[in-house]
Amino acid sequence: MIKVYSTPACAYCVTLKKFLDEKGIKYESIDVSQSAKDLQEMIDKSGQMGVPVVEIDGQIIVGFNKNKIVELLNIKD
Amino acid sequence: MYDLVIIGAGPAGLAAAIYAARKKIKTLVLAGNAVSQTTEAHLVENYPGIPSIPGGELAEKFREHARGIGVEIKDSVEIAKIESSDGKFEVIATGSKFSAKSLIIATGKKYRELQVPGAKEFKGKGITYCATCDAPLFKNKIVAVIGAGDSGQDAAWQLTKYASKIYLLNKYPAMRGDDRLLQEELKKHPKIEIYNQCEPMEIKGEKFVQALIFKHNGVGETKEITVDGIFVEIGSVPASKFLTGVVDLNEKGEIIINPKTNATSCPGIFAAGDTTDIPHKQIIIAAGEGAKAALSVYEYLKNR
Repeated sequence: MIKVYSTPACAYCVTLKKFLDEKGIKYESIDVSQSAKDLQEMIDKSGQMGVPVVEIDGQIIVGFNKNKIVELLNIKD
Repeated sequence: MYDLVIIGAGPAGLAAAIYAARKKIKTLVLAGNAVSQTTEAHLVENYPGIPSIPGGELAEKFREHARGIGVEIKDSVEIAKIESSDGKFEVIATGSKFSAKSLIIATGKKYRELQVPGAKEFKGKGITYCATCDAPLFKNKIVAVIGAGDSGQDAAWQLTKYASKIYLLNKYPAMRGDDRLLQEELKKHPKIEIYNQCEPMEIKGEKFVQALIFKHNGVGETKEITVDGIFVEIGSVPASKFLTGVVDLNEKGEIIINPKTNATSCPGIFAAGDTTDIPHKQIIIAAGEGAKAALSVYEYLKNR
């Protein structure tokens, strides 16, 4: 299960989601600007408050770290 | 072995790539992990032919154009150093390396990091460098914006939509920057409190930012304010550190180029855009400089 915590105007978030879309990877997109509860969940899981945050099977990646995402998803860049 | 490796995929790098592709130069573009400063721009409203466009969309158009004519772009490449021997270059990155007969450096600029106690520790834990990304996370919170130049003013303005209180810390006696209209709006905004002639001293907190201590030079006293978030907008620096000792840099860290040819002090290495010592940091200028650099590379490779 993949979750992407993001905000609407964040360029890194847009780039990240576009990358996942291109690779045909399904994910749940969570706009943390819309819900204090979701934001708190992201902060609790990642221990920080910057977006984007990606959760891949319980593992947390902060920021758009393409190499790490590729590695965890076991896909080809 | 590539004829040309372009480092950087902003306006300068991609314009260079488009020109190089049209000259049939075998080219590779290496993009870093950070998005270009164009991508982070709110709206670009001074690019001829395109009256108004979000920076991210313009950056994407550049990329599509380059890809469309067959330019190879490799993303998330963190460059460690450049080595040269016999007029050939090795670009050494984390986990990979690339060989080329010539290089164009178009790495642009990146934000300047705050250097006070707590700044490193609380980065991402209340301290942020991207207002467009993180402003919405501070709904009904108290925040400070450090730096009141164009970007700081813009950050403060974006935050008025979300935060309950915004302290704007300005190093100078009055706000600088081009947008007089915005400055007037900020001054009379009920959520904003402007502190002129102030410099940050320390950021404190437990897990996350809780307070900012700053020196009020005008009054000669130190003040502590309670804040949940700190937005840092203290300018940018050229992304040229990996070139120290390879090409000549000026005192600002900008790559010194021949303004006619974009040649650096090292034959075969050219540079373009905001990372160079050209005076104006603008998208259209960076793109033009990239084109110039690619045409100079064409001449260089022909005469080798």
